[in-house]
Amino acid sequence: MARANGKLNGFAGGKPARYSALGLVRHGVVHGEWPRVWRQHELKSSYDVVIVGAGVHGLATAYYLALNHGVRRIAVVDRGYVGGGNSGRNTAIVRSNYLTPEGVRFYDRSVDLYEHLSADLNFNVMFSQRGHLTLAHSDASLRTMAWRAEVNKLEGIDSSVIGPEEIRKIVPYLDTSEHTRYPVLGALYHPPGGTIRHDAVNWGYARGADARGVEIHQQTEVLGIETAGGKVTGVRTDRGHISTPVVVNCTAGHATLLSDMVGVRMPVITHPLQAAVTEPVKVFLDAVVVSGTLHVYVSQTDRGELVFGASTDPYASYSMRGSLEFTEELAGHVLELMPAISKMRLLRQWAGLCDMTPDFSPIMGVTPVEGFLVDVGWGTYGFKAGPVAGETMAELIATGRTPEMIAPFDLARFAEGRLVGEKGAASVGH
Amino acid sequence: MTATVHPGVGTRRLSEQPGEVLDRRAPLSFSWDGRSYQAYRGDTIVSGLLANGVSVFSRSFKYHRPRGVLSASFLDPGCTVQVGDEPNVRGAHRRLEPGMAVAPQNVWPSLRYDAKSANQLVGRFLGAGFYYKTFMKPERLWPAYEQVLKRFATGGRVSPETPHGFYDKRYAHPDVLVAGGGPAGMAAALAAAEAGAEVLLVEEEYDLGGHLRWGDGAERAVLAELVAAVAAAPGIEVLTNSVVTGRYDDNWIAVLQRRHPDRVGGGFGPAGSPVIERLVKARAGALVVAAGLVERPYVFEGNDRPGVMLSSAARRLVNLWAVKPGERAVVLSANAAGDAAAADLERVGVEVARVVDARSGGDVVRALGARNGTLSGVELGDGTKLDCDLLVTAVGWTAPTSLLNMAGDKPVYEPRAARFLPGGRLPGNVYVTGGIAGDGTLEELMAHARAIGETAARGGEAGSAPALRIDPHPALFKGATHGMVDYSEDVSSKDLVAAAAEGYDSIELMKRYTTVTMGPSQGKLETVNAVAILSEATGRSIAETGTTVWRPPYAPISLGALGGRILEPVRHSPMQPWHEAHGARPLVAGQWIRPDHYGDPDAEVATVRNKVGIIDVTPLGKLDLRGPDVPKLLNLLYVNKWSKLAVGSVRYGVMCAEDGVVLDDGVTGRLAEDRWVMSTTSSGAATVWEWAESWLQTEHPDWQVHVTPVTTAYASINIAGPASRELLGRLCGDVDLSGEAFGYMQVRAGTIAGVPGCWMWRIGFTGELSYEIHVPASYGLHVWETLLDSGADLGVGAFGIEAQRIMRLEKGHFIVAQDTDGLTKALGAGLDWLVKADKDDFAGKPELAWQAGEHYQRLVGLQPLDGDIVPPEASQIVAGETRIVGRITSSRRSPTLGRSICLGFVEPDLAAAGTIVTVLLPDRRRIPARVMEHHAHYDPEGVRLRG
Amino acid sequence: MMRIPCPYCGPRNASEFAYRGESKARPPVATATPEAWRAYLYDHDNPEGWVREGWYHRAGCRRFLRVERHTQTNEIRSVEPAARP
Repeated sequence: MARANGKLNGFAGGKPARYSALGLVRHGVVHGEWPRVWRQHELKSSYDVVIVGAGVHGLATAYYLALNHGVRRIAVVDRGYVGGGNSGRNTAIVRSNYLTPEGVRFYDRSVDLYEHLSADLNFNVMFSQRGHLTLAHSDASLRTMAWRAEVNKLEGIDSSVIGPEEIRKIVPYLDTSEHTRYPVLGALYHPPGGTIRHDAVNWGYARGADARGVEIHQQTEVLGIETAGGKVTGVRTDRGHISTPVVVNCTAGHATLLSDMVGVRMPVITHPLQAAVTEPVKVFLDAVVVSGTLHVYVSQTDRGELVFGASTDPYASYSMRGSLEFTEELAGHVLELMPAISKMRLLRQWAGLCDMTPDFSPIMGVTPVEGFLVDVGWGTYGFKAGPVAGETMAELIATGRTPEMIAPFDLARFAEGRLVGEKGAASVGH
Repeated sequence: MTATVHPGVGTRRLSEQPGEVLDRRAPLSFSWDGRSYQAYRGDTIVSGLLANGVSVFSRSFKYHRPRGVLSASFLDPGCTVQVGDEPNVRGAHRRLEPGMAVAPQNVWPSLRYDAKSANQLVGRFLGAGFYYKTFMKPERLWPAYEQVLKRFATGGRVSPETPHGFYDKRYAHPDVLVAGGGPAGMAAALAAAEAGAEVLLVEEEYDLGGHLRWGDGAERAVLAELVAAVAAAPGIEVLTNSVVTGRYDDNWIAVLQRRHPDRVGGGFGPAGSPVIERLVKARAGALVVAAGLVERPYVFEGNDRPGVMLSSAARRLVNLWAVKPGERAVVLSANAAGDAAAADLERVGVEVARVVDARSGGDVVRALGARNGTLSGVELGDGTKLDCDLLVTAVGWTAPTSLLNMAGDKPVYEPRAARFLPGGRLPGNVYVTGGIAGDGTLEELMAHARAIGETAARGGEAGSAPALRIDPHPALFKGATHGMVDYSEDVSSKDLVAAAAEGYDSIELMKRYTTVTMGPSQGKLETVNAVAILSEATGRSIAETGTTVWRPPYAPISLGALGGRILEPVRHSPMQPWHEAHGARPLVAGQWIRPDHYGDPDAEVATVRNKVGIIDVTPLGKLDLRGPDVPKLLNLLYVNKWSKLAVGSVRYGVMCAEDGVVLDDGVTGRLAEDRWVMSTTSSGAATVWEWAESWLQTEHPDWQVHVTPVTTAYASINIAGPASRELLGRLCGDVDLSGEAFGYMQVRAGTIAGVPGCWMWRIGFTGELSYEIHVPASYGLHVWETLLDSGADLGVGAFGIEAQRIMRLEKGHFIVAQDTDGLTKALGAGLDWLVKADKDDFAGKPELAWQAGEHYQRLVGLQPLDGDIVPPEASQIVAGETRIVGRITSSRRSPTLGRSICLGFVEPDLAAAGTIVTVLLPDRRRIPARVMEHHAHYDPEGVRLRG
Repeated sequence: MMRIPCPYCGPRNASEFAYRGESKARPPVATATPEAWRAYLYDHDNPEGWVREGWYHRAGCRRFLRVERHTQTNEIRSVEPAARP
C-alpha cells in the first residue's frame, strides 16, 4: 500500500481503483487504503501542452484533451492546490437559462456534461438538480425573465415564468406577500438548475485526467512565459523551466497577470466576489433562490448550511480579505426575502477573484501570440461552464480550429466591437 | 426572596463556591426535552442541566454518538441546543432564563434512544468523503440518495413563523479597542485609558476576568482589583457577552453584542422587547488583541465520550457554576492548568483516581465506554485500566489568531511550545498581548499588556514593548488513534490519515475533503490537531504543513444582527396622500413607488384622448444647469446639437455612453440666457447627474457650468388632452398659453394656482396637447388638487403609469431600458435622424459613426394582423423553426385604436415597412405581424400634439 | 471597510464613494482608430499593485478624485482632485 509520505506516487496495484459502494464496504472491512486520487510527479523539461490553473477549467481542458484527443504530454500547473482558487470558492450553482441563444446552447452543453459527470468520472459530484428560481421584483425584471424564458424555450431548455402562488409552493419560507418593500411579482423557474459539489468536480476531473496520463503539478508557480518570433516556446516556473509550444491561461483572478507575461492586453477588471455560509439547520430550502434586485442568491446544502452569494465588490481589488459591509447587505437582503431566518448565524465568509469583462461573457480562444490560448474572463459564472469550456478548449488545442460554440467569445471581439449580449442576464446571474 | 425549592440538591450541585456566578437567591425553572428542571440565575443551560445530573446534550452529526461537555464554553461542540425557535444555541454559554424551553438537536426520535446511532455500527464504511465514492450509478437513483443524505443535515430547526425580531446597530470610534477582557485585556485597557485614550473593552463571556474567574484565591483577588480599576477608569466602555467578530481594512472592526440588556423603547417594536443582538461597527485607532488561549482537546480513542473534558471545562464547572463534573476522575496533565484542575476536583470531593503526568511520559490511550456511551474508564499508556466517570485532559493550548490573520498576519508554529504564535506581520495599528502572544507569570503578562496598551494609545511601535517569553510545552499529538478531531463534524484522526493517503495531503484539501474545522466551532478547537495529524501522515513538519486561513467572522453572528433594522428607502411624491386616498395601485419603480393606475387604465386613456388628464411625473429627473458654457456641455452629452436653442425653447435629446449605447433621454429647455433645465428618465436621474459632473470635473474643468439636481425640489405634473390648455389657463394668469404665443416644444415660467416660480413645458409623452408643469414641491399637492377641482366640468381625471405607457406606445415613443438594452446603440433605436455626426465631439461619437456601416437590429413599430392578439412583451420573432430574428419589446392593446400594437426589434432585412414577420407567443402559437412605417401607431404626424 | 482620505472632507468610509475605474486618457475623437478607441473603452492595466483610479465622493462633496491605491492591500498613497492641472 502506498503511504502518503510524499515519496511514493504510484497507484497501488498499478491502476486506479474504481469507486463503488461495494468498494467502500471492502475497504471498510479490511481497513485498506484507497490509492492516491492523483499522483505526484517530478516536473519534466518539456510538455506538449502546459495548462496554467488547476481549477475546473484547466483540469477539464486537460481531461478532455487526453480523453477525446489522445494528447498525452500535458501538464497542469498551479501555484496553490487543486481547486484552491475560484473553483473551490464559488457557490456551485449550475444552470443554462441564459439570455442569448449562444449563451443558452453553451451552458446547456455544460449542464448535459454535468448530468453525467458522476458516472463518467466515477466520482460523485453530487449534482443536485433542485430547481433554480430567479425572482422578479419589478415589471422590468419580470420582462427580462420572460425574455429569457422565451429564448430558453426556443433552445429546448426547461424554463418558464411562474407567479407568486407557485413560488410559495416551491419555497414556503419566502415572503411572497404584497406589502414587502420589493414584492415578489414572479420568477424565472428553471427546474434542471441546481447545485453541485464544486470540490468533487475539481477532484473528479483531476483524478480522471491523472488516470489518462495528465501530470498535475501543485505548488508550481508560473514566473514567466517565453516567446520567440511571436510564438510560445516555454514556461518558467519556480520548480524549473518547461519547453512547450502551447500555454493555456485557465486562471481566474489572474487573467491579466498571466497574459501580461506575453504582452497580451486584456479587457478585464478583477473584482472580489464574496460568499458566506451559515451554521447548519435542518433542511428547509430546496430550490436555489436568486434575486437580482436584492443582489443575493441562496441555497441550502445537504449538510444544512445556507450558502449565500451576492454581486461582486464595488471596486477592483486582488484582496480576498472580505468585508463586513458585504455580510451586512447580504443579511439585510436575505431577511427581506425570508424574514423567519433572522436567528440563523453566519459562520464563515470568504472571497474569490472574478475577472470581469465588459459584456459579462468569457474570453476563449487564440490570442495574437501563437501558442498562447486563453480561457479566462469568466466573471462570476465560470464554474457552471467548466465542463463545456474544457471540452471546447481541448478541441481547439488539439485541432487548431475554434469550435463554433466558442467563436463568439474570442478576444478580438472587443477591438472589433462585437460584444456578446449577456450583460442583462449575467449580472448577479446565479 | 424566599426559595422553597433547592435546585440540584442531591445531584451534582456543590455547596457555594467562592468564585461562583450563581445567584442562589434566584432559582428558576426551565424545561429540557419536555421535562422541567430547576437551576439558579447565572447558570448556563449546560451547567443547569449538569447540576441536575443530565450529562448528554446532543448526538453527533454523522454517527449520532452521544455528546456531553468538552470545553464548557461558547465553543463547546456537543452543547448546541434549540431554545424555542432559535436553533444552534450554545448551551454552555447561554444563560438560563426563567421558563426557557430547551430541546436537544439532531436526535431522532429522542436523545436517549437515537435510531441513527446505528450509523456507528456501519461507521467504518462511512469514512470522510464516502459519498464521493458511491451513488454514481444508476444515475436515476441519485436524487433519492440525496434525499437520504439531506436527512442527516445537522443543527436545529427554523420556523417559518419566526418574526424578524429586534436587532440594532451602533457606530463607535474608540481610540483603542481591546478584544478580550481577561487580565491582559483589562491591563491593556487600563494603561490605554491612563494614557488618555477612549477605550472599548470587549469580552465574550458575561463577566470580565478570563481565567482568573475560575482561578485560586490569589487570582480572584487580582481579578477584583482589575475589575474595580476598570469600573473606576474614565474612558473605558466595557461590552460583555460581546465578541469582536472581524477586523477589516483600516481597523474597521465588528463587535457583536449578544442579548443586549437594553430594551426597545418607543418608536419601533413593542416596548420592552429585548434587542436580540446588536452589531457595533467601530473605527478603532488601534486594535489590541488579547484573546487569550483556547485549550486544545487531546486526540485518542474514545475522546468524544461524555465524561471526557478539558481542564478548563472542569475548573469552570466547579468554580463558576458549583457543579461537580464527576465522581471519580482521572486527570491527564501536561501543564499547570491540569494540576490546578486536579486540585479543584479533590477540593470539592471528586475522587481523583490518578493524575497522569504527560510531562514525564504518562499517557491515556483509550476512553472506555459504558453501555449508554458515556465514560466508564480509561486505559493508560502503560496498559493500566482505571474506572472513572470523568477524564480531564490538559494537553496544551491553541492561540485563536483569527483577528490577527484578518489583519494580514500568518501564524508561525513554535515546536518548543507546541502551538502557533503570532507571526509578527501586523499592520501598525494592530497589537497583540496576553497568552496569545506568549508566556509568563500573571505579573509579566499584565506588565506586557500595560506596555502594549500604553503604546497603542499613542500609536507607537508594538516592538517597543519587551517580548514575552515562550515556555516549553510537550507536543501531545498522535495521528493514528481513531480519536475524534472535529467533534461537530464527526471527523476522526483515522479519517484524516486516510484522506492524506489518498492525496488530500495539504491542509486546505484535507479540510475540504473531510470537512474538518468547517463546523460551528470554526476550527478553534480542531485546527492544530488536524495540522499535526496531517504533518505526521505526510512526514512534513507542522510548520511546513501550515494552517488553513482563518476567515471572518471570529464567532458566528446572527443574520438579524448583520441585517439590523430593515431600512429600505422609499420615495414618494408630494401627491402621494391623494393617490392613496383614490385607490392608486402602487408600482415599484426603483426607489419610487408610483401610481400604476386608479382602477381602469383604458378609461384613463380615454379621458386623456377625449378630455384632459393629469399624471404625477415627479420622479422625472431634473437638473438645473447654469453658466455660459451649458451649450458646450449639452453638445457633449447629447448626440444632437444644442448651440442654437433659443431662450424659451426645449429640445429632445438622447445621450449615449462612450461605447455608443443609449444611456438616457429627455428634454432640456432654456429658461434664460444662462439658465437651463434638463429632464432625465426617473431611473437615470442620478446617473446623468454623475455623468455630467464627470465630464465637467475631469475633462473640462475650465467650463463654467453649475449643475444642481432639483428632482425632488419640484413636483411635476403632466396635463394632457384636448382640454389641457383650457384647464391650465384657468390656473395660470401670467403666461399666454395660446398656440401662437406658447408653441410646441416651448418652455415658460409663471404662476400656477397662486404658486409663483413654476415652469411649464409644452411637451408630452402621450401625443396629446399637453403641458408638463413643475411646481415647488411643497405646493405639489395643492396644485394637483386645484387642477382636479377647477377642471371638474372639463371631465379632468388623474391617470397613472399604465395609461401613459399605452399612450406612449400608441405614439411609438421608446422607453430606455425597456425598448433598448445594454447593447442598443443610438442607431438601432431608430435615432438616425437625431445623431449629428458633423458635431466635433460628443460622448460615444466614434462608435455611432462606425455603427452606421454595421449590421444591427432595428426598433420598429409592429401590428399583429389579428388585432385581438396582444403578443406578451418578450415574445420572440422567429424565422423558420427556432431562429430568433427579433423580439417584442413593448405591447399593449390600444383602447384608442381598438387593436394590439407593439414596438420591437427585427433584423435589418425585416425592417422595411410592410414586411410580415412571425411572432412566437409564449403559448407556442405563431402569429403574423406587420412591420409599420412609423413607430407611432396613432397620429404619426403629431397633429394633435402641435394643436 | 477602507477609508479614503478625501482632500475636501477628510477621511471617509469607502461606502460614501463610487468607484470609477482606472484613470485613462480619452483618445482624440477626430482621429481615433477603432482599435485605439476600444482599447480606451475596454482594456485595463488591472495590476496587482499600485493603480491610479477615479473615485467620486457621491455621498460627500461630490468631487471626482484621482486616487493611488494598492489593489492587494487597499493602501492609499495619494488623493487629488481628478481635474487635470
